[in-house]
Amino acid sequence: MRSLFRYRELIRNLVLKDLKLKYRDSVLGFLWSLANPLLLILVYSFVFGHILRGGPPNFAYFLMVGILPWNFFAQSLMMSTGSILDNGNLIRKVALPMEVFPIATVLFNLAQYVFALIVFFPMAVLFFKVSPALSWIAFLPVLALHVLFTLGLCLIVSTATVFYRDVRHFTEIFLALLFWLTPIIYDIKAVSPSLRTVLYMNPFSYFILAYQDVLYHSIFSSLDRLITVTSLALLSLVSGYTLFVVCKARFSEEA
Amino acid sequence: MAETQIVNVSKAFTIRHNKAGSLKSKVIGFFYKRYREQKETLWALKDVSFNISSGEAFGLVGRNGSGKSTLLKVIAGIYPPTRGKVRLPDGARMGTMIELGVGFHPELTGKENIFLGASIHGMSRKETEAIYKDVVDFSELDDFMDTAVKNYSSGMHARLGFALAVNLNPDLLLVDEVLAVGDEPFQRKCKKEIDSFRAQGKTIIFVSHSAEDVKNICDRACVLDHGRLMFVGKPAEAIGQYHQLLAY
Repeated sequence: MRSLFRYRELIRNLVLKDLKLKYRDSVLGFLWSLANPLLLILVYSFVFGHILRGGPPNFAYFLMVGILPWNFFAQSLMMSTGSILDNGNLIRKVALPMEVFPIATVLFNLAQYVFALIVFFPMAVLFFKVSPALSWIAFLPVLALHVLFTLGLCLIVSTATVFYRDVRHFTEIFLALLFWLTPIIYDIKAVSPSLRTVLYMNPFSYFILAYQDVLYHSIFSSLDRLITVTSLALLSLVSGYTLFVVCKARFSEEA
Repeated sequence: MAETQIVNVSKAFTIRHNKAGSLKSKVIGFFYKRYREQKETLWALKDVSFNISSGEAFGLVGRNGSGKSTLLKVIAGIYPPTRGKVRLPDGARMGTMIELGVGFHPELTGKENIFLGASIHGMSRKETEAIYKDVVDFSELDDFMDTAVKNYSSGMHARLGFALAVNLNPDLLLVDEVLAVGDEPFQRKCKKEIDSFRAQGKTIIFVSHSAEDVKNICDRACVLDHGRLMFVGKPAEAIGQYHQLLAY
């Protein structure tokens, strides 16, 4: 842990490197990171709001509240499959705390997520007639817990991929399934009770529901939900970190 | 404690023949013995012990596959030893030159790579800013600091890597054959730098195939063969032993 603090400059440089390289020499630059969520929101709000004529009120805003955190979560997990493996050349030649790689992956995606929020929220207030509410201040703790939850899973995924390359493909397919098993583009209240039980078995649902509480319904989440989300975040982080620490001695030989 | 102690260090690697990573090869291996995965344990280091005093230049000599680089990586903390342990002087800053410019990203500029490369070795931004000018001067690449490293020649790349490595200012420097790269003036410059390291009382552990370099640079040397320590002592005698091994 102490050595991790010493290497904070490396974490910063890794994040900056990825941000710089991703959009270097492209004309639109970082605006590209907005294209994907923007397109998803437009397509889903058109298909579900206008063709199927369903969905909760102010549907585009509802979608935004779910899709932005989902993108952060899914892209972090997908990228973390290569966090250790793709840095094999470095790991075999320099002794350093290898936690920096999955941490940098999560922070890189967090930076893009925060950037998207900064652009999309004023737009929502201006165009979708969303009025800012007091409950928005609860967004920060939800975000913090969501980041810790994601980091824990990324530690697991980055470790597992070193030993089983299948994890990369599995994660990709699993995320495609998980997207539909999370109440991101539909309201959980519109789902039949038996199906709802299935959605409640998906841990990630609780984070999306918490986001929807504080941003969309403009209420503070119930204590119940707060406890669930906090426990999930800690469980994920502790198990992810434990697995990583147990396995990391073998990374320099296997990666 | 001002000594680097290598105490009964052994290192085993698992070599997998017919590595059965996929389900298909696992099923086939179940029915046909000759396609089955076979694991073999390779002892790259067997019970190696010696001490290196601070300020000493120590050479590791041996044939290809004798375990020199493995030993260097165990000392560097990259590989955990299977048995035994390595004790380093308290608070010693370790520098590794196992590959020059490791961690440089081809798309980043020279300047960006200096900051990235320094942070890979745990340097803070402030510390890097303090050595930045020395790195640029040493590398003689002042005009190329805002050029992407992918456009560097291999010699320029090596120069930047070496300039960074020496300016990280380690107390204990591990060098693996990196002097073989670069042209003659560059090699001379590297050797001069290693001499000045010695003059400052820093420890150097040095892997080389060149008998000349070992005799000129090292205070003591050891010979490894098939992972065993064959000899520790005067560089000239170590080279003699090494040549005897080659004669077989």
